[in-house]
Amino acid sequence: MEFSSIEFLLCFLPLFLLLYGVTPRYMKNFVLLTGSLVFYAFGEPEYLWLLIVSVSVNYFLGLHLARGARLKGKDKKQKKKNFEYKRKILLAVAVVGNIGVLAVFKSGIGAGGLPLGISYYTFRILSYLIDVYKGEETKETSFLRLAAYIAMFPQLLSGPISRYGEVRGALYEREFSAKNIQAGLEIFTLGLVYKVLLADRLGILWREVQVTGFESISTPLAWIAAVAYSMKLYFDFNGYSLMAVGLGQMLGFSLPSNFKNPYMASSVRNFYRRWHMTLGQWFCRYVYVPLGGNRKGEWRTLFNLLCVWLLTAVWHGSTPNFLIWGMMLWFLIVMERQLGRLGMGKLFSWGILKVIPHFYLWFVIVISWMCFAITDLSQLEMYLGRMFGVTEGIRVGTGDWRKALMNYGVLLAVGGLACTPAVEKLFRKLKDRLPGMLLLIILFWICVWRLQVEGQNPFMYRDF
Amino acid sequence: MIVWVAAGIIYLSVVDQWQVYAKPLGQIKSWYEGIKQDLRQAGNVRAEEDLFWNVVSGTDGITVSGADGSTVSGTEGITVSGADGSALPGEDGTGESESGNPVMPEGDVAAPTGDPAEAPETGNPAGQGVSPETEGSDGGLVYHTVEDDYFADAVFIGDSRTVGMFEYGGLEETADFYASTGLTVYKLFDSEIVAVEGQRKKISVEEALLQKSYAKIYLMIGINEMGTGTVESFVAAYKEAVDHLLELQPDAILYIQGIIKVTTERSQQGDYINNEGIEARNEALSQLADNERVFYLDVNPEICDDTGGMEASYTFDGVHLKAQYIDIWKNFLKEHAVVYESY
Repeated sequence: MEFSSIEFLLCFLPLFLLLYGVTPRYMKNFVLLTGSLVFYAFGEPEYLWLLIVSVSVNYFLGLHLARGARLKGKDKKQKKKNFEYKRKILLAVAVVGNIGVLAVFKSGIGAGGLPLGISYYTFRILSYLIDVYKGEETKETSFLRLAAYIAMFPQLLSGPISRYGEVRGALYEREFSAKNIQAGLEIFTLGLVYKVLLADRLGILWREVQVTGFESISTPLAWIAAVAYSMKLYFDFNGYSLMAVGLGQMLGFSLPSNFKNPYMASSVRNFYRRWHMTLGQWFCRYVYVPLGGNRKGEWRTLFNLLCVWLLTAVWHGSTPNFLIWGMMLWFLIVMERQLGRLGMGKLFSWGILKVIPHFYLWFVIVISWMCFAITDLSQLEMYLGRMFGVTEGIRVGTGDWRKALMNYGVLLAVGGLACTPAVEKLFRKLKDRLPGMLLLIILFWICVWRLQVEGQNPFMYRDF
Repeated sequence: MIVWVAAGIIYLSVVDQWQVYAKPLGQIKSWYEGIKQDLRQAGNVRAEEDLFWNVVSGTDGITVSGADGSTVSGTEGITVSGADGSALPGEDGTGESESGNPVMPEGDVAAPTGDPAEAPETGNPAGQGVSPETEGSDGGLVYHTVEDDYFADAVFIGDSRTVGMFEYGGLEETADFYASTGLTVYKLFDSEIVAVEGQRKKISVEEALLQKSYAKIYLMIGINEMGTGTVESFVAAYKEAVDHLLELQPDAILYIQGIIKVTTERSQQGDYINNEGIEARNEALSQLADNERVFYLDVNPEICDDTGGMEASYTFDGVHLKAQYIDIWKNFLKEHAVVYESY
């Protein structure tokens, strides 16, 4: 069940909140877990068992990993060593097991597609296990609390990938109040608007280009469509994340935010500190830093970055285009590091030259998203060829980009504006005043109306 | 804010039964459209009556009901089918193709199962099959291969498939296109989709056809209607549209194009878009042709694979031909042109 669906907005959420609200405090986690499993079952009943098994097994693994050694008697040292060794093996088994399940589904061996949300809940589980192993987190003795953390429906399907430590407090004690619901609903509405009014509609342009066929689009249209896709991806994902944060807040959680105006960054390095931040932090914390981070010399740093980006690429998908995408970003980040060491940063820090890094970023990021979006390599080659006018087109409509601008120009402009911090600033300023609230209510119902109109049609992209 | 959203939810789900609510609304809308169409037709009938009495005033025994929208051609001399008043299915549109009244048209054209009421027997200019270049497979009907300029006095009417032809067929300068995504045969004439130069507002297909006359009309429509009605009701509406088109364009011939199929994969997705349904509708559409003025062309054999659906590599979404493959369709039309000397 999508957050942006009539069933969720008008049935599941109100009913759940009502039930959740009347539940006594000590039962709230139970209702949350039950509701989350129901939510999951609506989307993918056939893999509900996998989620339950995964949570159960990892609950016990967590308990074992946290077990302290009661050491007595002679050769304490030896026993301690043995014990640590066992713990290490257990962690390795747990990590390999969890990643193995994920890999089996990712690689398509487990036919039937990827179980919903598995990439995300596996990563939450791993972060919990590793934190417990390192002693940075105390084990969770209550199965209910752990399961509620891993499966809570706001972040179940697409994150944000919160660490256990970030929500632990709220699992014990949280406030369910009208004030929280209000604040959560406001954030949720912003996310809904991003998703329904921007992402879904920008997606139509991208879809049109695919229907036409890449060999038949003009070079300007190739760029317009690539920009449209870049925006669509951002509003889709940011919208989803905002909805998740909003839902979390309604229930009394404070989930970490996932995006910080990434398109306002001035380098790829910076971009990925603002884009899908919880995933970046996860890789940083559990891969980059354990490998030595940047403390072991420049060469080692580059290697560590390579590991991170290889894993990031594979995490996103198993087709070769993701590898190209990841390697391209790794290469750019390495280049930026080297140029930064040469002091290029200072060059672009004054006056009008400041805009150059932004243009550079938009240029490379838009290209990188094409590598991300187009899974078929020959198609990808064709698209990039069209973008740079290297590949000869077939039956190219010469004025196609003018038509695209006419139909989507306003949408692209609004999208561009919403990529800047201005919209969020405005949101923060207005959300608690009457006109702002009225605006949000109206937007909320416009979204519901759009969903209803589009939902009546069995095609995602309206009619033919 | 909570209050307002909650109130809305309660209002919609309890008071108004949101989901249940949408359906009757749609129904009312379709009733309304039906009524509108009836009214328009009534108007046409009246118009024809006048015409009829003016032109052929003396002819006794011709029932006015003969004017089922097609017999406008009565202007050119009186007609076979109108005269016996029996084979007049009229606006209810139920009697299509069943009343196989064997009125064989003159000439070398064999109209296999043409509906006589439908076949308006235009006083056809003499030479129908002048110097045939290629033999069509359709029961002796002779098709010619033509160049692009054949389309100079043609209009293409249709849904997004025709939009694709407009954008990537290379005919945008040659022919006219009254095409729009989502167009259905039910709203064909009222849809305001025709751009007029120097005018901001688009005009309806009806108005456009009243303003300009064509020699050929290409109709490709029907995929959006798959979800509504039955084969019979669809074809009835289609027939009305065809009749009305012929009436608006008395000098034109009309090509009914069989609905382009979807890929087998798309067909098996489980919604109402499936090739079985398209085949059934195409079969019924082919019956509307009289091979005199109305011809049936089916490009599907050219673009379908062994599974009976559109060749998967020709399309991204399983429904629309990619731009580079529009040429297959266009060439098919160029190889299946009917040429009357006078046209």
